[in-house]
Amino acid sequence: MDLFFQQLINGLSLGSLYALIAVGYTVVYGIVQLINFAHGEIFMIGAFGAYATWMVMGQPTDWSAPLSILVLLPVMIIGGIIASVAVALLTERWAYRPLRNAPRLAPLITAIGVSVFLQEFVRLFYGYIPGFPDAKSAIPFPSVPGISGETIQVGGVLIQMTAVFTLAALVVCWVFLWYYVNRTKTGRAMVATSQDPDTARLMGINVDKVIMAAFAVGAALAAIAGVAHGLRYGNIDFKMGFLAGLKAFTAAVLGGIGNINGAVVGGLVLGVAEAMATTFIPGQFGSSAWKDVWAFVLLILVLVFRPQGLLGAKVVDRA
Amino acid sequence: MSSDTITQAVSAAAGGGPELLLDARNVTMQFGGLRAVNDVSLQVHTGEIVGLIGPNGAGKTTFFNCLTGLYKPTSGTVFFAGEPLPPQPRLVVRTGMARTFQNIRLFHNMTALENVMVGMYCRTKTNAIDAVFRLPRHRHEELASTERARELLAFVGLSGTENQLSRNLPYGDQRRLEIARALATDPRLLLLDEPTAGMNPQETRQAEELIFKIRDLGLAVLVIEHDMRFIFNLCDRVACLVRGEVLVEGVGDVVQNDPRVIEAYIGSPQTTPYEQPGPGSGKGASDA
Amino acid sequence: MRVVIPDELKIRFRYPARALGITGGVLMLVSILLPWAYAPEALDDMTFYGAPSPLQLFFAVLPLLLILLLAIPLVGKQRLGKGAKVVAWNTTAKTASIMSLIVVAVAVAAIAIGLGGLVNVDPGGWLALVGGIMAVAATLFLPDSPEPTLYRVKSPKWLQILGIVVLMALLLFGAAYILGFEDADDFLMFAAFVVGMVMVLRQFGVFGWLGIAAAANNRILVLSAFVVAFAFPFTQNGSDANMSVASQVLIFAATALGLNIVVGLVGLLDLGYIAFLGAGAFTAAVLSESAFATIKWSPPFIVTVLIAGTVASLLGLLIGAPTLRVSGDYLAIVTLAFGEIFRITMNNLDGNDGPNLTNGSNGIPGIPDLNLFGFDFGKAHVILGIDIGRFANYYWLMLVVIALIIVVFTNLNHSRIGRGWVAIREDELAAEAMGVNTFALKLLAFAGGAFLAGVAGSVKAHYDVSVTPDQYVFLESAFLLAAVVLGGMGTVMGVLVGATILKLLPEKLRFFSDYRLLLFGLLMVIMMRFRPEGIVPDERRQLEFHDTDEELAEEVEEELTSHHAHLYPEAGGFVL
Repeated sequence: MDLFFQQLINGLSLGSLYALIAVGYTVVYGIVQLINFAHGEIFMIGAFGAYATWMVMGQPTDWSAPLSILVLLPVMIIGGIIASVAVALLTERWAYRPLRNAPRLAPLITAIGVSVFLQEFVRLFYGYIPGFPDAKSAIPFPSVPGISGETIQVGGVLIQMTAVFTLAALVVCWVFLWYYVNRTKTGRAMVATSQDPDTARLMGINVDKVIMAAFAVGAALAAIAGVAHGLRYGNIDFKMGFLAGLKAFTAAVLGGIGNINGAVVGGLVLGVAEAMATTFIPGQFGSSAWKDVWAFVLLILVLVFRPQGLLGAKVVDRA
Repeated sequence: MSSDTITQAVSAAAGGGPELLLDARNVTMQFGGLRAVNDVSLQVHTGEIVGLIGPNGAGKTTFFNCLTGLYKPTSGTVFFAGEPLPPQPRLVVRTGMARTFQNIRLFHNMTALENVMVGMYCRTKTNAIDAVFRLPRHRHEELASTERARELLAFVGLSGTENQLSRNLPYGDQRRLEIARALATDPRLLLLDEPTAGMNPQETRQAEELIFKIRDLGLAVLVIEHDMRFIFNLCDRVACLVRGEVLVEGVGDVVQNDPRVIEAYIGSPQTTPYEQPGPGSGKGASDA
Repeated sequence: MRVVIPDELKIRFRYPARALGITGGVLMLVSILLPWAYAPEALDDMTFYGAPSPLQLFFAVLPLLLILLLAIPLVGKQRLGKGAKVVAWNTTAKTASIMSLIVVAVAVAAIAIGLGGLVNVDPGGWLALVGGIMAVAATLFLPDSPEPTLYRVKSPKWLQILGIVVLMALLLFGAAYILGFEDADDFLMFAAFVVGMVMVLRQFGVFGWLGIAAAANNRILVLSAFVVAFAFPFTQNGSDANMSVASQVLIFAATALGLNIVVGLVGLLDLGYIAFLGAGAFTAAVLSESAFATIKWSPPFIVTVLIAGTVASLLGLLIGAPTLRVSGDYLAIVTLAFGEIFRITMNNLDGNDGPNLTNGSNGIPGIPDLNLFGFDFGKAHVILGIDIGRFANYYWLMLVVIALIIVVFTNLNHSRIGRGWVAIREDELAAEAMGVNTFALKLLAFAGGAFLAGVAGSVKAHYDVSVTPDQYVFLESAFLLAAVVLGGMGTVMGVLVGATILKLLPEKLRFFSDYRLLLFGLLMVIMMRFRPEGIVPDERRQLEFHDTDEELAEEVEEELTSHHAHLYPEAGGFVL
C-alpha cells in the first residue's frame, strides 16, 4: 500500500508539472484554435530565464532556507516568467498574428518552425552571454536551500520537497486562474472571445489584447513549471521542452482541450497514470523506459473513445 | 410559372404511381436545453416538389441536417425509400439524397467542372490501384464522368464555364453550380436550402424553371425558402415550420391562407393557443 | 525596399538612364579583364590581367544580358514589332542589374573575408562594384514594363522540345558543376549567379514559355529529366564523393515526396513521418543478412521492400485510424507522439527492456550491400569507360524509387481520388455531404504515404550500412517538412527543389552546419508568412493561401485554361 501512495504522490507531482504547462495549450487553443507547438519551448525558456536571474543575482548558494524560499525562489520565478511571457508575446505578434486568417496548416507549420528556432536559439546563443555556461549540454539548475534535496516522511511515504513545491504551485496557480477568468474583466473577455470571437469583437472586446493575455497567462504558468522542473530534476537543457510539451498537450487533450479545469485534471491523471504504469505493469514493459510510450498510448486511446476529453472540450470538430 | 405546368408534371409523374420517397417520422433534435426540431413528420413522394417555410430560427436547416445525416436526431426516424437512413452524410448521399447549402459551400478553388466531378465521387469506383496504373476502369470512368459533368453543367445553364474557378463565378451561377454538383450524385430527392437567397427577380425565375426541369427528370425536390411567391408558385405541397414544429402542411393555398402561418410571419396582437408570448416571439416576423 | 521614383523624372531621364545603365554593364564586363583579388586563395584565382577566371566568366553573362536588354529597345518600337510587347525589357533589365550587383557583392565580401580585409579587393572588383551600382541606379529610372507575354507566342514543337532539352542539359551541367565546388565561397558566388540567371529568365518570361512547352510535351519532359538524372554519374569522372551527396539528396527527396502526398495533397500535418522511414529501415535491417540482424530469415530484397512498405503502412493505419476521425489538429500532435513512441520502442527492444529486435540504441550495423540480379551495389563497375562507384549505384536505385513515387503521386493526384483530396482540403464538411468518403481518403493518403516512406527506408538501411534509432528523430521529420514547405506543397518539382536545397546547402556550406536547424526553423516561419505556397507553387495551393487575391485567381484560371490540364484529364498522368 505504501508503494501505491508513494507512486500516487510521485504521479501527482509529475502531473502538476504537466498541468501547469497544459493550461497554456488549452487557453490558447480555446481562443484561437491553434496548437501552439512552441509552448514547450516557452516552458524551457522559463527555466533558462530563472537560471539567468540566479546568475544575475550573483549565484547565491549559501542563503538560509527561509530567505531562499521567500526571496530567492520568488525572484527566480519572476525572472523566468518575464522571459517566457516576453518570448510568447513576441512569437504571437510576429509569427502567429499575421496568419490569423490563413489556412489552418500555416500557423501549425509556423508553430513548429518557432519551436525548432527557439530550441536552437537557446542552444547556440545562451553561452554567448558573458559568464553563462554553454547550453549545448545540460546545465545544472541551482539548488534552493529548504527545497532541493529535502524530504518529508509521512508514514511509509517519502515526499520530496520539490514535489510539494510543484503541487503547491499548481494549487496557487489554479486559484489564481479561477479568479482571473471569473472575476476580472480580461478573464471574462477571454471566455467571451473563446465562445465567439466575432461577437466578442462587436461587443467592443479588443480581441488582440485577449489573445495576447492568453499567451501571457499560459507562458507565466509554463515558466513556473520550468522552475519546478529544474528543481525536480536538478538540471535543465534546451531540449527539455519537447517531451514535456508533448506530455502537456496529451494532458490537455485528456482533460478536454479548451477547458482549463480539464487541463489541470488531465495533467494530474496523466502523471498518476505514468507513475502507476511503471510500478504496476508487470514484466519488461513496466520498466521506466516505457513510461512515455504508455502516456502517448493513453493519448491515442482518449482520442478513440472520448475525443472530447474527460471534462469535455470546448471544440472538438467544428461543423 | 403557371399552374398548368404543375398539373401536367404531376399527372406525368403520377403515371407510374408516386412512390413514398422520404418519410420522416417524429424527428426531434435537441441541443442541450434547446429543442430546435420538435416531433416533425414529413413525407415526400417521387415527382413532387415540397416546400418548407418558416421564420428564421424555426429549425428548417436543422431539420435538413437531420435528414442528410449531418445531425443524428435525438429521437424519431427518417426512412428513405423504405429504409432507415444511414447515419453518415456520405452514406445518405449514396442512398439517393443530395443537398445544397444555405451559404454556398462550393470548393471554390476548383473549377466548375471539377466541382461537379466531386459530386460524382460516390457513383464512381476507380480505386488507388486503377488510378496509379491508369487501368481501363480509370480511363473509362474519367471520360464518362467528364462527359456527364459537362452535360450537367449544360443542364443547369452553365455551359462554357467548365474551366472557371467556382470562386470567380457570379453569385447566381454559384447557386446553380451547387445544384449541378448535387445532381451529379445521382439523387432521387434533391434538398435545396434557400436556393434563391440573394438573387434578383430574374435569377429567381430562372431558378424556378430549373427546379421544374429537375422535377421533370423524375426527381423529388424539397425546398427551404423565404420567398413566399417563389414557394407557392413552385410547390405541390408546403409545410410551415415554426419554432421547431410543423404548424400546417398542405397545398399551397391552404397554407398561404392559414391564420396561424400569417401570424407566425406577421405577428399577432393576441396570444393564441399555439404561441406563448415571450422574448423572441416577434423575432421571426421582423426577419421575414 | 521599393524605391519609388516619380514618373515625370523617369520620362525626362529615360535616355541618360539607359546610357548610364549600359555604361555600368560595360564597366562590369571590363572588370573581369582586371584582377578582382590580391591573392589567389579567395574564390577561384582572380588575380590576372586579361585572363578571367571561370567564375568571372560566368558572372559576365549577367552584365552582357543587361547591356542587350537596355540596348535593343533603342532600335525603336516599330522595328521591334511584336518583340516590343513580348518581353518585359525594362523590368528584366532591372532584375539583371540588381542580380549582377548581388553577385559582385558576394564576390567582394568573399574576397574581403577570405583574405582578411577590403584592402585585398583589387581594382577589378571595385570597378565591377561601381558598375553594378551604376546599373542598378540607372535601371531604377526606367519605367516598369508590362508583364511579359512570351508564353503566348506560338512556337513549333521542335522548338519546345529543344527548349526542354536545353533546360535539362543546363540542369545536368549546373548540378555537376555546383557539386564540384570544394570551397564555400566559390559555391556561394556561383549559387548567387544561378539565382540571378533564374530571376532574369523568369522576368524574361522564359519559365512561362517553358511551362507551356512542358505541358504540351509532358512525356518528353519527364523522360528527358530522367535521362539527365540517369546520366549524372557519368559527369563525375569516377569520383564517388559527389555521388554520395547526390544519393543522400535523392533518399531525402523520395521521403519528402511521400510526405507531400499527406501534407501537400490532403493537407494533413504529419509530424512523425520519419518514423515510417525508420520502420522501413528497421524492417529491412532485421531481414538483412547482417550478422546483427535479429531475424535469421533474409528474403530477397524485392520481398523485403514490400514487407518494409507494408509494415510502415500498417503502422500508418494503426495511428491514422483513430486520429483521422477527429479534427485535423490532433493528427499533428498524435503523429508527433507516434514518432516518439517509435524512437523509444526501437531503443527499448534491446532484449533488456523488451524482446530483442533492434539491439536497442546500438541498432543494427553491418548491413551488407544490396545485390540485385547479380548487380553488386557495393562494388564499382566500369560502364562506358567511367567508374561507377557504390554511391552511384544507390543513386540509380533511388532514381527508380523516386520515379515510382512520382508516378504514384501524379496519377493519384489526377484522378477521382485526387479530386476528393482537394475537396477535403477545401471544405471537408461539404465534401462529406457530397458523398466523398473523407475518412477513407485521408486514411489512404496516410497509409500510402507511409508505404512509400517504408520503401525508401528499406533502401536507406542498405545505403547507410547501419540503422540506429537516433537517425529517426523528430528533428528529421521537421527537416522533411521544411523541404515540403520550402519547395511547394503539392508539387513534385517543388519538393525536389526543396530537398536539393536543404540537403545541398549544409553539405557545401560547412560553416553553416551548426546553424542549420536554427535557420530552418526561421525559414519555416518566414515562408509561411511571406510565401506559404513555396518556391514552386501548386496553383491551387497558392490560391488557398492568398484567399482574397482576386487578381491571382483570374491569373491562375487563365493558366489552368491555357494548360488544358483538366480539359483532357488524361494529360495529367503517366501511363505505365
